Amino acid sequence: MAEKKFERRTSLDPAVADLLSGMEQRQAESQLPRKERERLGRERAKIQSRREQRATYDLPPALREEIRVMSEDLRIPASQLVTLALARFMNDYNSGTIDLGKYKQPSRSPRYDWNLVFPDDLIRMKKKKG
Amino acid sequence: MKIFAFANQKGGVGKTTTAVTLADGLARMKVKTLLVDLDPQGHLALSFGLEKSPGLYRLICLDEPLEKVAVRISANLDLLPGDKQTEKVKRQIAISDFREAILADILHEADYDAVLLDMAPSLDVLHINGLIAADWVVIPTRPDALALDGVKEILTTMAEINQNGHRYRGYSILPTFFDRTTRETFLQFQELAKTFGEHLWPPIPQDTRVRETVAYGKTLWDYSPNSVSMNGYKDGKQRLGGYKQVLARMLEVING
Repeated sequence: MAEKKFERRTSLDPAVADLLSGMEQRQAESQLPRKERERLGRERAKIQSRREQRATYDLPPALREEIRVMSEDLRIPASQLVTLALARFMNDYNSGTIDLGKYKQPSRSPRYDWNLVFPDDLIRMKKKKG
Repeated sequence: MKIFAFANQKGGVGKTTTAVTLADGLARMKVKTLLVDLDPQGHLALSFGLEKSPGLYRLICLDEPLEKVAVRISANLDLLPGDKQTEKVKRQIAISDFREAILADILHEADYDAVLLDMAPSLDVLHINGLIAADWVVIPTRPDALALDGVKEILTTMAEINQNGHRYRGYSILPTFFDRTTRETFLQFQELAKTFGEHLWPPIPQDTRVRETVAYGKTLWDYSPNSVSMNGYKDGKQRLGGYKQVLARMLEVING
């Protein structure tokens, strides 16, 4: 059996490690044929242009599932459904037709003063019609 | 109090700009900071738009108190300036008893949270004094073979000082004039990471704003606070390198 070779890992500052890995990737790409380099460049530009549109929030699993099912039923991207829902909410909030007061409970977090506590029947998986 | 020495026996690696930018940054974070010019060129004063003056000479040769010779730059930042008379300081130190620890003795009694020493690119008695006074040595280096030789020299000197009983809390290698698009920078950076591991701090990107700022007698915090040398490279939502990230590393050292 061939003897295994172990290489000691050097611990690096996280920013140094990220920068180095990006530079290694670019160096590896520079060895590729021109067409392949251009394709990777286009992919990278596409990914970068979408980064500004991304956000991460915690959602109740039932609500997430409801959005997924709706997206499949209507054949509309889930991101666009959520964008519409949030835009409608912001309009209603700004015009004063939504009152957050009835959901507000004091928070013990040092970062936030309030939590929104929703009644059980507000977020639930609706049964599919038909 | 923590004393940082910015040292590399190779000149033109960004020691002065780095010391000025980080000292001003610490002061803005409400860390009471003293910046000391150990270089007879006296460029620290010019970086703040002031005239050179013999602050270090008055402190060591004329025995004037630090509070009298330090120049107030801002609420939390004082400067101990230097000029060509710093050469006389070297001669004075050379004929003194306990000559290696003269600067350490003065600075350890000073009322600051952080002291930053801008060292000359040389290996003389003042340089040794700076290294002996320091708790932490920051070694700015260009990612090229000649500057890296300067890193090796400084580490050898530090090892010799260690053998004589002085214990550093640590040291960091700080790549400056960093251009991530060139193959030479990549190879040197890879080598630095392999050799120095966690001692390697995130680099300072090459930036023409740095050269301009000295001409205006302003620090980067005033002249160009959002330049690439301050904020680092944009990588998605995060930033990599730049003086603001290095400042955070220094604060980690200061806060233990």
